[in-house]
Amino acid sequence: MTENNRGTESILLVDDNPTNLQVLYQTLEVTGCKLLVAKDGETALGIAEKASPDLILLDIMMPGIDGFEVCSRLKKDPGTESIPVIFLSALTDTKDKVRGLQLGAVDYVSKPFQPDEVIARVNTHLTIHRLKREVEQKKDALEAELEIVSVVQRRLLPKNLPDIEGLRLAAHYETSLYAGGDYYDIAELADNKWGFLVADAEGHSAPAAVMMAMTCALFRSYPEPPAEPGKLIYFLNEHLCKVADPSFVTALYIVYDANQHTLKIARAGHPSPMIYKASEKKAIEYPCGGVFPLGIDAYAQVPVTEAELQPGDRILMYTDGITERFSMDGKTYGEEHLLRRLEGDGNLQPRELLAAIMKDVNDFANGRPADDDQAMLLAIVE
Amino acid sequence: MEIIQKEENGIVFLAFKGRLDGKSADEAEQTINSILKGDNNRLLFDFEFLEYLSSAGLRVILGAAKEMKRRDGKFVLCALNAYVKEVFEVSGFGAIIPIADSVRSGINEIS
Repeated sequence: MTENNRGTESILLVDDNPTNLQVLYQTLEVTGCKLLVAKDGETALGIAEKASPDLILLDIMMPGIDGFEVCSRLKKDPGTESIPVIFLSALTDTKDKVRGLQLGAVDYVSKPFQPDEVIARVNTHLTIHRLKREVEQKKDALEAELEIVSVVQRRLLPKNLPDIEGLRLAAHYETSLYAGGDYYDIAELADNKWGFLVADAEGHSAPAAVMMAMTCALFRSYPEPPAEPGKLIYFLNEHLCKVADPSFVTALYIVYDANQHTLKIARAGHPSPMIYKASEKKAIEYPCGGVFPLGIDAYAQVPVTEAELQPGDRILMYTDGITERFSMDGKTYGEEHLLRRLEGDGNLQPRELLAAIMKDVNDFANGRPADDDQAMLLAIVE
Repeated sequence: MEIIQKEENGIVFLAFKGRLDGKSADEAEQTINSILKGDNNRLLFDFEFLEYLSSAGLRVILGAAKEMKRRDGKFVLCALNAYVKEVFEVSGFGAIIPIADSVRSGINEIS
């Protein structure tokens, strides 16, 4: 039996009979805990609230409010609900025991009690209570750290989207567990060209966040303006191969020439971009050759696909957290849904269109929380 | 997720049933690692009853592929359904891990 910190722990003993209280007091002195006493329910509730004992031993039959009622009130009050309660009663009927446990008590000891048994049960429940508290504290600390990672990580994303003549942009970014593995970024290149990167580090939470940050650092330290998509993907892979094992990062990089409305696309394990052609009023997954994800093995060659946009066309880069968002009955949102959404609502601004897509995704999920991070970068040609 | 294991003629067969996703990936990884503790160097994954595969599942498969490569062994994935096959195509993993249409052709490939 672990008996750490017993000197700082306290137990509240509640019984209307002074003799019982005295016997109980003497029995539990050996635990080394500080002992508090109450002779009725009202007093017990007052002490429990002020002193927050680590355990309460509670008689049932008392004048005024009885032990069942005391337990019930303790469990309803957020300040006292976590204090374990052991009933100690002459009521030995099974239904009384069941009722006590249903009210949230952790144990039930029949009177007359065996001192050794009471001591053993008290020690057990004090240990459980302490371990539970420690686990909760550690969990809180870990969550706080993850939240810090998440805040730091969001600083890695572009603060503002650039103003590009003839192109309207919007982005959506949402992580599933504080920090995430999704990433998007935009690089300004020479001659009114722009580089758009969307990446997804496998997994989520802290490990994925580290890979995401690595990808960001590599993208921004690329030795020249990243105007050649194939070369950039090759470079990211070369460096991520040194650190990613056994994880990986998928990426889609597009260089857009805002003067010519032309695109150069390179893809590493990532979904192809979706392109909406205004002339055809139809969106498709634009077929792009590609390589396997970053961080696994060297590439022989990275294929680059070219495309051209016209006024009114839209291009959507996204991570699979969108298309693989699950509904309550285990279906995935899917590419078809996303394509149809991208086709709709002709007059919407990019930000409004992304909001409409996210609403559709969330309606589809119907309350099922996202398992994965969700990111989108949308551009509409004016 | 269920993984059924058997060994025949020096080939370790693992048949996957259900969904290999973020929820089941860690357990699947442990199962595979414990099976690969030996010196087997021919491994076949039977995906006939694999319904769904996520990127976390791809990581598990990649881990097995890398381990077989370290052992200078042979590894093949067999009988992928249309959805799982598409995941392999989109992700480019098809280029680094051999895929066979059926278990029979998979056996031929690594025998």
